[in-house]
Amino acid sequence: MSTLWQEAMLEAFHETSLRIAHLLPKLMALLTFLALGLAAGWLVKLFFLRVLRAVRFDALCERFGLGSSLAKTGTNQSPSHLIGRLSFWLVFLLFAFMGIDALDLRATANMMSLIIAFFPEMLAAVLLLFFGMLLANFIAEAALIATVNAQIQEARIIASFIRWGVLIFTAAMVLTQLGIAKEIVVAAFSIMFGGVMLALAIAVGLGGQTIARDVLEQRLRRRKVEKVEKDNISHI
Amino acid sequence: MTMTETVWREVREQLGDRGKIEVLIGIPTFNNAKTVEPVVKAVTAGISKVCPRASVLVVNADAGSQDGTPEIIKQAAGPDYPTAFVQHLAGGFLSGPISLHALSESGVPGREHAFRAFFTVAEELQVKACIVIDANLRSLTSDWMEILLRPVIEQGVDYVAPLFRRARYEGSLTNCIIYPLSRALYGKQMRYQTGCGYGFSGKLASLYLAKNVWEGEAAHYGIDSWLTTVAVAEGCEVSQGFLGTKIHDGTLNGIELSLLLAQAVGALFHLMEGYQDVWEGSTGSSPVPQFGPPYEPGPEGAAVNVERMVRGFQQGLRDLLPIWEIILAPETLDGILSLGLVEAEEFRFPAALWVQTIYDFALAYHEKALHREHLLKSLTPLYLGRTASLILETREGIPEDVERVIETLCETFERMKPYLTKRWRFS
Repeated sequence: MSTLWQEAMLEAFHETSLRIAHLLPKLMALLTFLALGLAAGWLVKLFFLRVLRAVRFDALCERFGLGSSLAKTGTNQSPSHLIGRLSFWLVFLLFAFMGIDALDLRATANMMSLIIAFFPEMLAAVLLLFFGMLLANFIAEAALIATVNAQIQEARIIASFIRWGVLIFTAAMVLTQLGIAKEIVVAAFSIMFGGVMLALAIAVGLGGQTIARDVLEQRLRRRKVEKVEKDNISHI
Repeated sequence: MTMTETVWREVREQLGDRGKIEVLIGIPTFNNAKTVEPVVKAVTAGISKVCPRASVLVVNADAGSQDGTPEIIKQAAGPDYPTAFVQHLAGGFLSGPISLHALSESGVPGREHAFRAFFTVAEELQVKACIVIDANLRSLTSDWMEILLRPVIEQGVDYVAPLFRRARYEGSLTNCIIYPLSRALYGKQMRYQTGCGYGFSGKLASLYLAKNVWEGEAAHYGIDSWLTTVAVAEGCEVSQGFLGTKIHDGTLNGIELSLLLAQAVGALFHLMEGYQDVWEGSTGSSPVPQFGPPYEPGPEGAAVNVERMVRGFQQGLRDLLPIWEIILAPETLDGILSLGLVEAEEFRFPAALWVQTIYDFALAYHEKALHREHLLKSLTPLYLGRTASLILETREGIPEDVERVIETLCETFERMKPYLTKRWRFS
C-alpha cells in the first residue's frame, strides 16, 4: 500500500517537474520577449519622435488642421507623440504575441502567422485613417473660409457637413480595408448615401417645392442686388 | 530649349539684321482688336516726340488671340517701327499645391510669360529702355511716353511705376495693406499702384530675368503684385509717373475679393522671406521722384455698401475665430474680439490694431502656421472691417481726408515695425 502510494507520489512529482521543466523555458522566453518588446518599443518610439520632430510633423499637422481636431477630441498630446505611442504599442504587441506563441498553447496556435498576415491590412487602414482625417480637415477649412468670404450664413454647417462626409467615407474605407463586416459597411454606406440624396431630392423636388422656389428666387435676387453692391469699388 | 531661348530665337528670326535697338515697346495682348490700334498709334506718336531718332522695336506677346490682334498691331505700327511677335502659353506653366490664378486687369492670361518674353528680348538686344503697355487701355495718350520713357532714357531712372487718379475708395486693398506695409518694409513712398503701363531700364529688365520669381511659389502670384516690390527691394532707381485717370476694357470687379487679396498680399509676404536682410534694417521712409502732373486724390466715387462690409467682418469673427486663434497673437485677438460688440454705424478698426493684425499674418505666413492659401484668404473679413472703418471715418469729409488717414496708417506701420522684426527673428 505504502509502495503504491510512494510510486503515485513520485510519478506525480516527476510528471509535474517535467511539465514545469518544459514550461519554464517557455515562460522565460515570454518574459524575455516582453522585456525585448519594451526596449524595442521604446527605441522605435524614440526614433519616430526624433524623425517627426526633424521634419516638423506637428507644424505640418497644425497647418492641415489636425492639431486642433485632436485638441477638440480631448487629446492633449501632439500628433508626433501619438504616433510615437502607437509605434511603441505596435512593437510591444508584436513581441508579446511572439512570447505567447512561444508558450505553444493550443488556444494561441497560429496566432503569429495570422497577425503577420493581417499586419499590411492594418497598416493600410491606419494610413487611410490618417490621410482621411487630414483631407477632411483641409477641405472643411477651405469650405469654411470660402463660405464666410461669400457671406453665406450657414458657413459652419456647410463646413461640418463636408468634414463629416469625408470622415464617414474614410471610416467606411477603413472598415472595408480591414475586412470588418465588409458587406454590411458597403451596404450601410450605400443606403445612407442614397438615403440622404433621395431625402434631399424629395425635399427639394416635392416636399419643399414652394420653399425651394422661394429660397432660390430670394438667393438669385439677392445675389443680383449684391453683385451690383459688390462692384461698387475696385479693391486693387 | 528653355522658354527664354525659344522666345529669343523667334524674335531674332523675325528681326533679321536690324542693328542696335534702343527702346523696346512690349504689348501683351489677348483678343484686343477693339482697342489695340489707338494704343499702338498713341505709343508710336509719343515715342516720335520723346526720342525721334531712337531705334525702336515693338514686341507683341499674344496669348492666342482669335480676332487678328497681332495683324492690327503690325498695321498700326507702320513701316517705321519694326514689329516682332511671340506666342506664349496662357498660364500653362502654373500648377502646384497653391491654386491661386495669376490675375490681371489687362485680361491677358499668363501675363507674366509676356513680361518674361519682353525682358528676354530687352536683355538680348541690350536696350536702353523697355516700356510695357496694356492693349485694353482707353485713356492712353501720347503724353504717357513722356512720363514712362523720358525718365529712363534721359535721367537714368530704372523703373517708372504707374500712378492714377482714382475715385475716393478705389484701390483700398492697396491703400490699407500693400502701400503702407511695403513703405514700412522697404522705406520708399511708392503708392504700389499697378497695371496699364510701366517703364523699365534695360538693366532692371535683366535683373528681373535673373530673379527667382518666374517659377515655384512666386509664379503663382500675378506679376503686377511683385514688379514694384522687387525693383524697390533691389535698390534700383525707382519713380512714379502720374498718368491721370485709368480707363480700360475689362476689370477685376467680378473676381472674388479673397482671391485678389491672396494674390496681392501673398506676393508681398512671399517676397518678405527673400528680402529679409533688406527690410529688417530699414527704418522710416523717403519720397520717390514723380513725373507728370502732380498727384491729386480722385473724385467722389459710387456709394459703398459699408453695412455689408461690417456684416462680413462680424461673420468672420463668429465663424473664423478658431483659424484666427492660430494666426493672431492673443493681445491682437482680444482687440479684434472687442470690435464685435460695436454697432455698425460706430464701427472703427483702430490703425494700431490693424497694423498688429497684418504683422501677425505676415509672421504666421513666415512660420507656416496654416496652409498659406487658407491663411491669406482668412484675412478677407478683417480687411473688410478695416475698409468699412476707413469709409465710416471719412465719408462725411473731403477727398483729402482719405489721404490723411492713409498717411497716418503708413506712419503707424513704420512706427510699429519693431513688433514685426523682433518676433520675426525668434520665429
